[in-house]
Amino acid sequence: MWLNFPVFASVAILLWMAATGLFLFSASKILNRLAAGLSVSGTVVLLVFVIMLWMAIDRPPMRTLGETRLWYAIFLSGIGLASYFRWKYKWLVCYSLTLAMMFLSVNLNHPETYDKTLMPALQSQWFVPHVIVYIFAYALLGASSLVAIRNIFVKSSGKTTSEPIHMADNLVYLGFSFLTLGLLFGALWAKEAWGHYWTWDPKETWAFITWMFYLIYIHYRFRNPLAHNKAMMILAVSFVILLVCWFGVNYLPSAQNSVHVYTE
Amino acid sequence: MLGFALQIASGGTSFRLAGFPWNLISGFVFLGFLLLLFWFLKKHAVIKWLGSVKAALPAIFGFTFLVLLMGFVKQDVQSKNMLVELLGLNHLVKTWPFILINLYLLVLLGLVTLKRLTPFNLKNFGFFLNHFGLFLVLLSTALGSSDVKTLNMDCYEDQTEWRGREANGTMVELPIAIKLLNFNIEEFRPKLTIIDNKTGKIVIENNREKFELLDRDAFDLFQYHLEVDTFYASSGRVEENYYPVNEPGSSPSARIKVTNLMDQSVSHGWVCSGSYAMQPEALKLNENHSLIMLPAEPKKFSSEVSIVTKDGKSQTALIEVNKPFRINGWTIYQLGYNTEMGRWSDLSVLQLVRDPWLPAVYTGIFLMMAGAIFLFIFGKPKSGGTEHVA
Repeated sequence: MWLNFPVFASVAILLWMAATGLFLFSASKILNRLAAGLSVSGTVVLLVFVIMLWMAIDRPPMRTLGETRLWYAIFLSGIGLASYFRWKYKWLVCYSLTLAMMFLSVNLNHPETYDKTLMPALQSQWFVPHVIVYIFAYALLGASSLVAIRNIFVKSSGKTTSEPIHMADNLVYLGFSFLTLGLLFGALWAKEAWGHYWTWDPKETWAFITWMFYLIYIHYRFRNPLAHNKAMMILAVSFVILLVCWFGVNYLPSAQNSVHVYTE
Repeated sequence: MLGFALQIASGGTSFRLAGFPWNLISGFVFLGFLLLLFWFLKKHAVIKWLGSVKAALPAIFGFTFLVLLMGFVKQDVQSKNMLVELLGLNHLVKTWPFILINLYLLVLLGLVTLKRLTPFNLKNFGFFLNHFGLFLVLLSTALGSSDVKTLNMDCYEDQTEWRGREANGTMVELPIAIKLLNFNIEEFRPKLTIIDNKTGKIVIENNREKFELLDRDAFDLFQYHLEVDTFYASSGRVEENYYPVNEPGSSPSARIKVTNLMDQSVSHGWVCSGSYAMQPEALKLNENHSLIMLPAEPKKFSSEVSIVTKDGKSQTALIEVNKPFRINGWTIYQLGYNTEMGRWSDLSVLQLVRDPWLPAVYTGIFLMMAGAIFLFIFGKPKSGGTEHVA
């Protein structure tokens, strides 16, 4: 069944690439619409493939890492597009399309991950929403940190504009809403799987710390709306914390027995 | 600071809130206290300050600092470090600093919610969802913690059990009796790998152990090409060969043709992962390497049980990981089994959990979810936030 995956994936990637290019370099309304159309078709191509796969293997294709990456790609492009239609944020749709293409390329290069075993604790209907919402939050917050870091280092002419900080704010608000949902989905899932919604497992602790740091950013922005630079610093540090939560937890001595540590 | 001082003074005694009904009463007292405080001293500078973002920032910061400590210091184990033991850093959630900052946050969240509710304004709806939701989650989690009961129950096939084991090992009689009718395990196909004959360890390539799941007829593993002649999910050994049988202690086995791609030499033979009753069998490929089969990993395990409660309910249920069963306020989880016996285990460990405060916690969680969706749709207040600075 995976045999025709390269064809589907390549078509989707080509469509998305064309769409991203058009979004980045076009000014006219018609070209923007064409770009949106192209990215929608890319997502549809992938969706068709997943539905075919679903019917062929007779179970939801959400069990393996490779399969979940397919869903990331679909959701990322879908949410990016939805945000584009809603707010006309071109950068957001470009960013999410790029990330979706990255996930698909990983799948093209690592076909051996398609049939890995999955422990029973992860076999839950919460698995996919929990992970996808989180990854999307990470993507948005990553973008906000890019804005922040760029702003910290490229203070070229010394004139302060409010444009970058508003962009960062928007990204953080979107990202934070997803981060909150991911955290709460995780709590609800934990109750179903392990009997308690919060056990201060190291991954939970770090996810909570990450959440708190973005909470600090949001409140700091209310407290000191004009202190752009410090806010940007907080945002940059928050992303470091986020990365610790994402990968770093695996290497912390405090996390040796965590159920969340990725073993592959 | 005060918290750490108290922690040292109290000699590190861990703090535990009284159970029902005292926690419920103290909850109401706390709520009443907040309401009175707000009602009568709304205009007082201190109360105004407490309800402002100026107070919120240091509070969030302090809480974050404590949780950060928790992120670095391993929790719930004895520590050799005197300072860690003295300050209770290895069981932080039960220490005074943590409890005090929680209480302080609750006061802030409570006051700020009240402040935004009066006068009522629909614009503040998102704010209310987020802050009151978090308030409810923190409050009900803190108050309810002493009412949570978690018990493990060892159920053997065809036996009725009504005693549960607490975390500290005490046995407790429960108002629920469970008879294990059947314990089932579905397994994945076993994995194959290559070991070093001298060390007995799995050969590592690029810093990674390499496995192949036995779900195809032919595949490559390191410098070997493997072709599967025969695979039995459940088999027994008779002399030199394996035959399909399905009785306690039988094990998966496979007859495999291995071609060394380096020198085209061919080995042919059986591998078997073994079980509590059977020896594993490896296939020696050459002086350095042998092919082995790893024990199959569980795909799914579940218990068919019949449950009888003290008030006379009788029911059968299928309990699975991620699919608990609820009865009379108890939730029954599939926890484990005798891993040594694997799929022939006649023991199923169930976990019974009772958390009467869960509806309050869930209400808070759903409010916060609604708040998150609110944030997603409406984003940051347009004015850049100045209107929020109290």
